[in-house]
Amino acid sequence: MIQLRFSFALGVLAGAVAFAQGPPPGHFGGGDFEYMHAHMGAQKLVKGAPYSAQAVSQYTQTLADGSHIQRSTTSSVARDSEGRTRREETIGAIGALAASTASPKAIFIHDPVAGSSYVLDPASKTGHVSQPRNFTLSSDAASASEPSARTAHVRSNAQVKTEELGTQTMDGLTVQGKRITRTIAAGQIGNEHQLQVVTEVWYSQDLQTTVMSTTTDPRTGVSTYKLSNISRAEPDASLFQVPADYKLTQGGGPRSHVRQ
Amino acid sequence: MNENELKLLEGLRCLAADGPREAPSAVEQRLVGELRRQSRARRRNGWLALGMSGAIAAVLAATLWIRTEPVVQKPTMARSQTPAAVKTAPSPIANVTPAPERGAEVAINFYPLPDADELPPMESATIVRVQLPMSSLRLMGLPISEDRAAEFVQADMLLGQDGLARGVRFVE
Repeated sequence: MIQLRFSFALGVLAGAVAFAQGPPPGHFGGGDFEYMHAHMGAQKLVKGAPYSAQAVSQYTQTLADGSHIQRSTTSSVARDSEGRTRREETIGAIGALAASTASPKAIFIHDPVAGSSYVLDPASKTGHVSQPRNFTLSSDAASASEPSARTAHVRSNAQVKTEELGTQTMDGLTVQGKRITRTIAAGQIGNEHQLQVVTEVWYSQDLQTTVMSTTTDPRTGVSTYKLSNISRAEPDASLFQVPADYKLTQGGGPRSHVRQ
Repeated sequence: MNENELKLLEGLRCLAADGPREAPSAVEQRLVGELRRQSRARRRNGWLALGMSGAIAAVLAATLWIRTEPVVQKPTMARSQTPAAVKTAPSPIANVTPAPERGAEVAINFYPLPDADELPPMESATIVRVQLPMSSLRLMGLPISEDRAAEFVQADMLLGQDGLARGVRFVE
């Protein structure tokens, strides 16, 4: 009996230590991160330009041996005339980072009329309501809770060139293109030759949204974002409403079991 | 008084005349022992009930602590720059508890990733909380020192409409 109690106590202690230290290496099953939950950030308010479309994000990385890693995420997006937006997606990757397991499908609804945002989990019919979270981007490490002074911000003094690419028609929309080329001089980040990071953005003035963008970075790979199957009809109003059988809580997240 | 009652009265008088009687000592000892056992059982049950109440209270407190969303956002001086709520419309939702807090909106500061400036402008933002080893952040261009590469952290990633990260902030 005493031996049994000792074994139990040892197990509890080992579990507590493991929890405090975080998952061991390999815990993510080959992925780079584990999804916990999501919130909606601030949205650009556009009225009078409704649409719905499929948004495809692709990431291609070329490895040293010439082989490729490709990831693709498809989302359904919609916006009504009042500026309400809806996005339905599964987050399987963040750029070069692959999720250990695909996140549960999430529906993001932003309602500027009501001043609320909703993140819904269709599998459990739960969600949370909050105000959209505004943000700033600042290299003030302290205000971003940066954990180590050693991870210093190293924004380089790269040369940036912007070119206008004229207009094109994409999916029935007239879009204007812009290319931004950032040149990193040789030796600036330990690179033998100069590097060029090129971003092309094709923007629709009618929809006031980016229809296609591509970023080519020799260090990481090629990222592409494209809207397709674009419909400019007013989306169904029910897309921007939370079904009555969903249970909502305020703030937090569907999986906010976060220790602090 | 009938005949049966008279016989019962006479019998009782004879019994009284024999003088006081006591139970055998063996019976008395068993009786006292049983009373003491019951008393001990009552005390033990009392402690058990007290312990159970304490355990239930502890579980409830732990549950509430775990379910409560901790405040992790560090507000910055920057206030909301997005349009405020225009007007109040009837909420299309059911089962909402309680209404969203208004007027408490503050901006969350994210640490910009090295190449965020070169990415397309953000039109919509999603904040995703992830858990990851510090070494994974190298893939996003952050210079993580080797001695911290194996540490696990929780971080909020600021994603644009294209799913690419523009900034990061650490929860722990």
